[in-house]
Amino acid sequence: MTSNETSAQLFGKTNALTEQAKNFLAAIVATSDDAIISKDLNGIINSWNEGARRIFGYEADEIIGQPILRLIPVELHHEEDFILGKIRAGERVEHFETTRMRKNGERFPISVTISPIRDDNDVVIGASKIARDISDRRRADESRFRLAAIVDSADDAIISKNLNGIITSWNNGARRLFGYEEEEIIGQSILRLIPEHLRQEENEILRKLRAGQKIEHYETTRVSKSGAIREVAVTISPICNSKGEVTGASKIARDISDRKKVERMAIEAEKIATTGRMAAAIAHEINNPLASVLNLIFLARQDDVSKQDIQNYLATAESELERVSHIARQTLGYYRDTGSPSEIQLRDLMQNVLSVYHSKLLAHGIVVDAEYNDLRKIRVHSGEIVQIFSNVISNAIDAMARGGKLSIAIAQSAKTERDGLKIMVNDTGHGIRREHLGKVFEPFFTTKGNLGTGIGLWVTRQLVERHGGHMSISSGTEPGNSGTIVMIDLPFDNSGDANSVNTGQSGSSAETR
Amino acid sequence: METASTPICLGNWGPGNSSEIYGAREKAEARAEARPTILVVDDERLLADTTAAILRHAGFETRIAYDGFVALEVAGSFRPDYILTDIMMPEMNGVELAIAITKMYPVTKILLFSGQAGISEILEQSKAKGFEFPLLAKPVYPAKLIEGLRKLKDG
Repeated sequence: MTSNETSAQLFGKTNALTEQAKNFLAAIVATSDDAIISKDLNGIINSWNEGARRIFGYEADEIIGQPILRLIPVELHHEEDFILGKIRAGERVEHFETTRMRKNGERFPISVTISPIRDDNDVVIGASKIARDISDRRRADESRFRLAAIVDSADDAIISKNLNGIITSWNNGARRLFGYEEEEIIGQSILRLIPEHLRQEENEILRKLRAGQKIEHYETTRVSKSGAIREVAVTISPICNSKGEVTGASKIARDISDRKKVERMAIEAEKIATTGRMAAAIAHEINNPLASVLNLIFLARQDDVSKQDIQNYLATAESELERVSHIARQTLGYYRDTGSPSEIQLRDLMQNVLSVYHSKLLAHGIVVDAEYNDLRKIRVHSGEIVQIFSNVISNAIDAMARGGKLSIAIAQSAKTERDGLKIMVNDTGHGIRREHLGKVFEPFFTTKGNLGTGIGLWVTRQLVERHGGHMSISSGTEPGNSGTIVMIDLPFDNSGDANSVNTGQSGSSAETR
Repeated sequence: METASTPICLGNWGPGNSSEIYGAREKAEARAEARPTILVVDDERLLADTTAAILRHAGFETRIAYDGFVALEVAGSFRPDYILTDIMMPEMNGVELAIAITKMYPVTKILLFSGQAGISEILEQSKAKGFEFPLLAKPVYPAKLIEGLRKLKDG
């Protein structure tokens, strides 16, 4: 570049390279963060700015007059021949990324742009070299590549979206889970993945994200490209820009279909186990009067009985059969559970369960004290509530093998945030040891040896929470003052609750009394 | 479910009053050799009463107890050949009674009867202590019950 060309490029006119303009340019060179070096056509350095000193570590007076090869690692010396060849031919070398060496011998990545310098006669007399230390950029690139590799190899679906719900990134896990290729889904709305009836979830999610909140392990369903339903646990975090403003969200979705399937099977198994337990209790209630009836008929058939005795036997047999049919009505009636919730009086279900366990309570010498203040009906799946009560009552009975008092109270909940009923079942049994209390809601935990399935309370809690309720257990083992209190809250109105986005720990708890 | 507490007038086949139950002591020696003796234990009174009546018809000399502790007391004086006991009873269950009787009066033969499959827990506990007793399921046909007792005698 001739000085006139340089002048035209920098100042818009050919004769502007006055002394003042040259000083101005020199100031820019001196203060530049980049290294700006010039050399002659033999590769001897003839200028060296402050940026060069900072990057390479040499002072100007020790490096000027030295060959540029001092800055180039030995194995890369051939680069200089190539560069000088280009310069002599009047060509530029732009953003050439290579490795150079500091005064202390340290090698570092650098990006250089080298341009020929010409005299006024357009003859190339040397080269200017602008070099930028790109160590930091390299490091950032490397960690970005590493993160990208992790995201891409993750089994979980990792997706990002902006605040309008438009998908902006899509990893391999997302492709596997939802079936869409990256190029067909990026730029599309996230609603594509959300089943029709859950679309309002997205508004709720976006609302929380805008408020900077995170959504953790939220279990829901999504839909794949083929229309298949996927059960997933999602964690959604806001993505912020450098000013701290939320600009989008990252979403990690894990396929929990298998886990859900196992859970459903365990719940079914427990339902059968509960039914079995109750059937055994009912059998006892029914078999006693039936045995009496058989005896009475046998006696009435004997040869030597009077007509009056026969009448007595048959009348007694009849009243025993009435008793059987009463028990059957009371205890078996609720198994006609239609599968949809109905308005019922909670106390009726509790009374049903107590009548099933009537004999067992009696045989264990357990006194029952029930207090009902539930005037309002509640909308529930009665079969499931019976299962909940049955489980809690039979646990209480097991805890009081040597008798005790079973206090039951059902009353309107005092909680203000949500109207409902509070059920309290308090036994004076042996209590739950402190080290076991934290585990009672875990599946397959039991203190009853071979006799317990270990999923009773776990399923009970699931059923309570399915009704939008909450369950807690406190217990004490101090001799003479031991016992367990089970508290269950059930809301009157459970509509839509199953679909609400829960950011907190859904709560059921166990604590030492 | 109020059940067995209603008094039932059944004529003269019933065991009658408690004095008959406890009054057995002096009769014990005078007992006819041929008549086997049996104590029927059940907290379900009607069932205990009717079962005893049937066994009396079948030629047994019978006594009745409505709970385990009374049964222990009666067994002490009556020294029955057999005890037929329900399992699920308040305070002392049938297996506990059977174990106590076996320890005190090893010659007494014991037959359990129960209306519930869910008593396996109690049976397992007794098995763990080294005791096993024959078990009849309620409801049992009177003829089968008598047959069961005969087998017990022969076995």
